[in-house]
Amino acid sequence: MKEAVEAQQAGNFERAIQNYRVLLEKYPQIAEIHSNLGAALAGEGRYAEAIAEYERALKIKPNSQVSLNLGLAYYKAGQLSRAVVTLNKIHQEQPKNLQALIVLADCHLQLGENKQVVDLLTPAQTADPENATFNYLLGTALVRDGQTAKGQVVIDKILRNGDSAQARLLMGTTKLMVNDFSGALQDFTKAVELDPSLPDVYSYYGLALMATGDQPGAKKAFQQELKANPNNFDANLQLGVLLRQDEENEEALKFFQHSLEIRPGDFGVRYQIATVELAKGQLEQAQRHLEGLVKEAPRFTEAHVSLATIYFRQKKKTEGERERAIVAKLNAEKQANSPALKAPQ
Amino acid sequence: MARAMEVPAECAILRTHPVLTLNKGKYSYRIEKNLYTVSDGSASLTFPILWAFGLGDAGQTYVFEKEGVPHESRVSFFRAIDGLDWTLGASNSPPANLMEAAGRAMGKQDAAQCFNCHSTNVSATVVPGIQCERCHGSTETHLTSMKPMKKLGNVDAEEISNFCGQCHRTWADVAGKGLLGITNVRFQPYRLTNSKCFDVDDKRISCLGCHNPHQELDRKDANYDAKCQACHAGGKPAAKACKVSQTNCVSCHMPKVEIPGSHYRFTDHQIRIAKVNDPYPN
Repeated sequence: MKEAVEAQQAGNFERAIQNYRVLLEKYPQIAEIHSNLGAALAGEGRYAEAIAEYERALKIKPNSQVSLNLGLAYYKAGQLSRAVVTLNKIHQEQPKNLQALIVLADCHLQLGENKQVVDLLTPAQTADPENATFNYLLGTALVRDGQTAKGQVVIDKILRNGDSAQARLLMGTTKLMVNDFSGALQDFTKAVELDPSLPDVYSYYGLALMATGDQPGAKKAFQQELKANPNNFDANLQLGVLLRQDEENEEALKFFQHSLEIRPGDFGVRYQIATVELAKGQLEQAQRHLEGLVKEAPRFTEAHVSLATIYFRQKKKTEGERERAIVAKLNAEKQANSPALKAPQ
Repeated sequence: MARAMEVPAECAILRTHPVLTLNKGKYSYRIEKNLYTVSDGSASLTFPILWAFGLGDAGQTYVFEKEGVPHESRVSFFRAIDGLDWTLGASNSPPANLMEAAGRAMGKQDAAQCFNCHSTNVSATVVPGIQCERCHGSTETHLTSMKPMKKLGNVDAEEISNFCGQCHRTWADVAGKGLLGITNVRFQPYRLTNSKCFDVDDKRISCLGCHNPHQELDRKDANYDAKCQACHAGGKPAAKACKVSQTNCVSCHMPKVEIPGSHYRFTDHQIRIAKVNDPYPN
């Protein structure tokens, strides 16, 4: 055990892993060996195996540090929903554990659960208003949630420390939200210049490039983001969209499936997968997926549109017309709720 | 459609209007032959026009390049005013500098889409305008494979709507993107599909049921009466006869709609009983 721990502390994870495995053959019921093995595996970036060991350790003996490590391993492995469950429990038990709080907030952010980030971080940010990490995460969540006025207050705090990649990323995100794509692109370009390793920076740069019509540039940006963070949801999803547009359907599907692993059940991703099936002529499969999707998300207009297309291709006129009528109803509701669209003849 | 895109030397509008000018705020514009100039009073930019986009029935927009990037001119020619005005959509984003006042840089995909619908053979040597191969496929492929070229006369209304919609926008394009409001009046296949009388199986209500793409667009309302009567004079049991008139049907049932700033009244292809003050139906 001593040898294994020393190897681990010296960064020789492979050796530590071998030693722990030998020990486990003799002492499979000692929780510490499993948790140490988990930590060594995590050190090697073998998160799936690390998760299995942490889970075994916790089954034998609950331990808050091991739970935290398990949460972090889920986070690193891109199993964000599981990470949220584990880290949330730790946060409830240890509200002052900053690591758990910050990683939990980032998980929610990556899952697109911006309101949860705001709820989680507002008390912490109020207590420590100059904390740069709180400000950045909270500002990002507020901006992405469309609470731009509140977000601006937090961005201003970040800007007080001078021009930074974080501030540029947030300002660009604000502009992106109001469809000022060229303005957003300028900010993201600067953010990439200032700190190309900032999480999400290439992903958002890619979104702005995509919105301004530079699809090849966007593709490169998303690939760059995925080099640093293979579990970035937007980069996976949007790269898939671009590949599908280029009719590289099989490649696109890989990115969509990974997006779905990051955000299980995500309607947008499931819709994209169905459009790939549609493009590949797998009409029945696409139909099944879209029917399931509109059952869960009956106001998902694009899904009804694609479903109508499929029905008409299959010569199912009644079903196709039914879907078109649903789309017409949904669009009429949108029109009724938008004064700008109610122009008389 | 053959003149959907032209080089300046062949462009009738530029030939018959040797000098076009416009003053808007601090910017002044001048198109003289193939040169496009914008000035803010202290500096000016001049670019050779590479392409004129659009037949000019409604309007015509010009494309120039800066450092290899195609740009859409901020001003366009409009037939109704016989002169220049803002290109549709340009008034929504005031220019921040002289270059932005000249025009909008077109993204790669944006440019590809524009050329794809205004020219033929865009993936190889671009041929201006919509020529035979744009719809019927490559002659070269036809000759090498000895397979017949694409015939479009026999396809159903849904399929032809999707085919023409590649450029004029399909129902799925517009409905899926939620392009609501009167600006979608330009997207005829979408509007037609929304018509109560649209029937995916009935060729009489397809784009080709009324329009012959090999001929100039017929602008006389009365010339479309026979198309309406093909169904509404007993040809289709569900199609009732109009109680008001059997002539000039489209003048009532396909009202004209003007998109602000377009200087053009588009025919709304959503065929319906249109009542005064009814909101524009999506």
